[in-house]
Amino acid sequence: MQIRDRNLMPVWEKIQSGERLTLEDGLRAYTSGDLIGLGAMAHAVQKEKSGDAVYFVLNQKIEPTNVCVLACKFCDFAARKGDPHAYEMTVGEILGKLTPEIREVHITGGMPPDWPWERYLEIVRSVHDRLPEADIKAFTAVEIDFFHKKFRMPVEEVLRQLQSAGLRTMPGGGAEVFSERVRRLLFNQKIGAKTWLDIHRTAHRLGIPTNSTLLYGHIETLEERLIHMIRLREVQDETGGFLTFIPLAFQPGETGIKPAHRFTSAADDLRTIALSRLMLDNIPHIKAYWVMLTEEVASVALNFGADDMDGTVGGEKIAHDAGAVSPMTLAKERIIGLIRDAGKIPVERDAYYNPLHVHQERVVGKIPYLNSVPFYARLEKRDFRILPVVPRRMGMLCALGEIDAGPFSLMDFLRQEDDMELMGWCIATRDQVKSVMLFSKEGWRDLDGRTIGITDDTATSVHLLSVLLEKKYGVHARFERLHQGVNSYDGLDAVLLIGDEALRRNKHGLDGFELVYDLAREWYEWQKLPFVFAVWALRRSLPSAVKEELSGLVKGSLESVGGDFVSVAGPHGRRIGLTDEETQEYLSGFNYSLGEREREAIEVFRRLVPAAASGAHASPPDREGR
Amino acid sequence: MTLSALCAKASAGERLSPEEGLDLLAHAELLDLAGAANEIRFRKNPEPRVTFHVDTNPNYTNVCTVDCIFCAFYRHPGEEGAYTHSVDAMIGKFRESAAKGVTTILLQGGVNPALPFAYYVELVERTVREVPGVTPHFFSTSEILGMARVAGLTVPEVLRRLWDAGLRTIPGGGAEILSDRVKKKISHLKGSSDDWLGVMREAHRMGYRTTATMMYGHLETDSEIITHLDRVRDLQDEYRGFTAFIPWSFKPGNTPLEKIIPHYATPVRYLKMIAIARIYLDNFPHIQASWFSEGKKTGQIALHFGADDFGGTLQEENVHAAARFVNKTSTEECIEMIHDAGFPAAQRNTVYDILRTYEVPSAAA
Repeated sequence: MQIRDRNLMPVWEKIQSGERLTLEDGLRAYTSGDLIGLGAMAHAVQKEKSGDAVYFVLNQKIEPTNVCVLACKFCDFAARKGDPHAYEMTVGEILGKLTPEIREVHITGGMPPDWPWERYLEIVRSVHDRLPEADIKAFTAVEIDFFHKKFRMPVEEVLRQLQSAGLRTMPGGGAEVFSERVRRLLFNQKIGAKTWLDIHRTAHRLGIPTNSTLLYGHIETLEERLIHMIRLREVQDETGGFLTFIPLAFQPGETGIKPAHRFTSAADDLRTIALSRLMLDNIPHIKAYWVMLTEEVASVALNFGADDMDGTVGGEKIAHDAGAVSPMTLAKERIIGLIRDAGKIPVERDAYYNPLHVHQERVVGKIPYLNSVPFYARLEKRDFRILPVVPRRMGMLCALGEIDAGPFSLMDFLRQEDDMELMGWCIATRDQVKSVMLFSKEGWRDLDGRTIGITDDTATSVHLLSVLLEKKYGVHARFERLHQGVNSYDGLDAVLLIGDEALRRNKHGLDGFELVYDLAREWYEWQKLPFVFAVWALRRSLPSAVKEELSGLVKGSLESVGGDFVSVAGPHGRRIGLTDEETQEYLSGFNYSLGEREREAIEVFRRLVPAAASGAHASPPDREGR
Repeated sequence: MTLSALCAKASAGERLSPEEGLDLLAHAELLDLAGAANEIRFRKNPEPRVTFHVDTNPNYTNVCTVDCIFCAFYRHPGEEGAYTHSVDAMIGKFRESAAKGVTTILLQGGVNPALPFAYYVELVERTVREVPGVTPHFFSTSEILGMARVAGLTVPEVLRRLWDAGLRTIPGGGAEILSDRVKKKISHLKGSSDDWLGVMREAHRMGYRTTATMMYGHLETDSEIITHLDRVRDLQDEYRGFTAFIPWSFKPGNTPLEKIIPHYATPVRYLKMIAIARIYLDNFPHIQASWFSEGKKTGQIALHFGADDFGGTLQEENVHAAARFVNKTSTEECIEMIHDAGFPAAQRNTVYDILRTYEVPSAAA
């Protein structure tokens, strides 16, 4: 990696050690002339978070009306009631725009003076009924605030009603720039930073993840952009509810705002993407929204920190009316081509960023937890691409034939043994593991008939919990799947967490759940055997040369690490709050090589799990049905 | 060799073998390529400035008998829309361009067998004599081969007479991909790779300066791209006659090849071409980014991927336009684009002498 500008080195050192960047660091990076050095730093962080994946979604944008009570200077979409170009869609017209392959419906629009509340609920309900498989992402904070005031309901009540009508996530528009100076000059009719952030906080608390945005390239300063990012980062620390951050390049069009330049420059766009990735260390995704950034810049941005291209957007009126140069619809084929050319894996997603399909061959899965880092430490790939994906989704993609190798959750491997063969490695432990933890209000035997929140991320740990409850302790509990990215455990008697989240909670405790059980230790004390959480496997049908290459890569990676886990996993550990000593101790507790005892443990577990569960279609109980 | 070792070798400026070049092109991360290319660019041309020239790209005829399936510009003799301009008409055009500040006239045509050799000689002579201040940058290799056929002369004889008429530089178009497998498919009448290289070799031997081009994004493989780079690098070792390397992507609009290749090559592919060219062509002084053929934003970004030249302002252009690919600029906008990308700008002439510099205004820096 080449960093030509020495001024960037202190920033790079901080990034490598997992330290958070300050406003001053951000300014230093923003003003560097070394665009490639800056991009490479952001790309390194991107790869750590997203591997080679770039996401897109088959989506449709619905703007039910352009009639709006506001008159924002930057918008040439809005109309007054009675204007010749004003329109208001009926529910029938809205449904007519939906096609069956759509996985995300994005609903936003103007704020008309005379629509009743029921009309909004009806839109959401009708779309949800028509396309139950699609996630509804609807209404910016500006609209939520409008509903709150107009219909005299608390924000929380507005959101709850929309949620029960079918709303799943919220878009991030309307944030503009969190600066009172800019708001007074440009957006004085819009909600300020505090209201915007409060509405998103409330949404997160209710289990509605949201997006976040920044509108840049008008009159704001670099400092104001960075402060905006830092304020989002602070809220994310509290709630964890932001899915993605989307820097929106301002489109001057006929809006009457005169920025310094006609359009933002390509260099400014790429710098802003890179800075977003570097500053927002706690937001999982950065979106290069091609409709506004142009296809040219958005595709390059995939190597400057962005891991999402948005989607096949059906009708993007707002950006188009202001003269965005992108075509109205980028075919799925073109998006896939752009992502592949960027050296990335095109991953079709849902609104929560769950991977649905992988449009690439030779994809190796990566469990995105600290305990898997050593496998990939020195994995210099030529013909493979790496997809970080939680164990359960890795198993699903494997069943679709869309992932060729990886460390599979044991249950997933057992279900797909016919197609997959073992490599020589696993993630197993001797006595304790610290990253598969049950946080409970009750002791084991008192959990009979109680409700346990289970992670959505894996099947093996859930089955292990089940086996322990029923076979070791002779009790039966009810399982309830937890929402992704939401930290609300109301009404639960115990919570099963895995991976980095479990490690973090194990260190700091989980409020109200005072008993903490390590499932691997429970298993060991019972069976006197290690527990195997995951096994490396690859598709039997791969050519043997490919199999050998991959085996060689994993082996080489583990050998190069030796026992020094801090050098490869230290930064990851620090990011989740572990000291280097804790990282070293935690990773030393694993056995990565699949030996006789591990194979025996697999067989014992196989016999204990009900036969039905290891069948191809079994899945743990699931109240949400998602 | 590992990819990181290979990138380090490239950054250090060591010559890469074709196998190493191919490994980098096919497998290296985009910004690792860019990093190595940038390192080389700044070692070779330590000034951060990016050059451009004020030029125009008219055509004296669109009559052509070569039938390339990637071209939407040509017409057959007698076909509707076919034209051939007189020398007088062309000189008139050149004068107008010169009055607007143009310093380079890149003139190409179809390959029109009805034109006598004297036409070409007269075009050069009269341009040199009657349009002071502009450099004629005339005739691709296919036209020179066409002149040799029509006049019954050898290529060196044709080049000698054009030289005597005052021609000193020749554009590098028509190379496409220097792979006869590809050439047979897309331009089977245009001549082989050796024909293009042969004309260039004779020209360089005589003292002409030329550019080298590459048109990718159609039927070629990565390996054929490296072969192309390897062949121009070999020729450059002989006489150092190439001033710059200019890649551009195939534009499918209105061409027969559109049926097979419906999409433009992506911006990322273009940036890879710029970077790998800078890395592999260790004996080329300049790599040209083309705002014109790839889009303004992509052109700007390419300046960070090893390119140090932004091409011309192209007051007139008909070939890409025929394929529905249109970008326009002015000298002022060209300078502003370079500044926006973060570099001082400098106007140059056809052979890269600096005429005037434009520092980045402090507000845009």
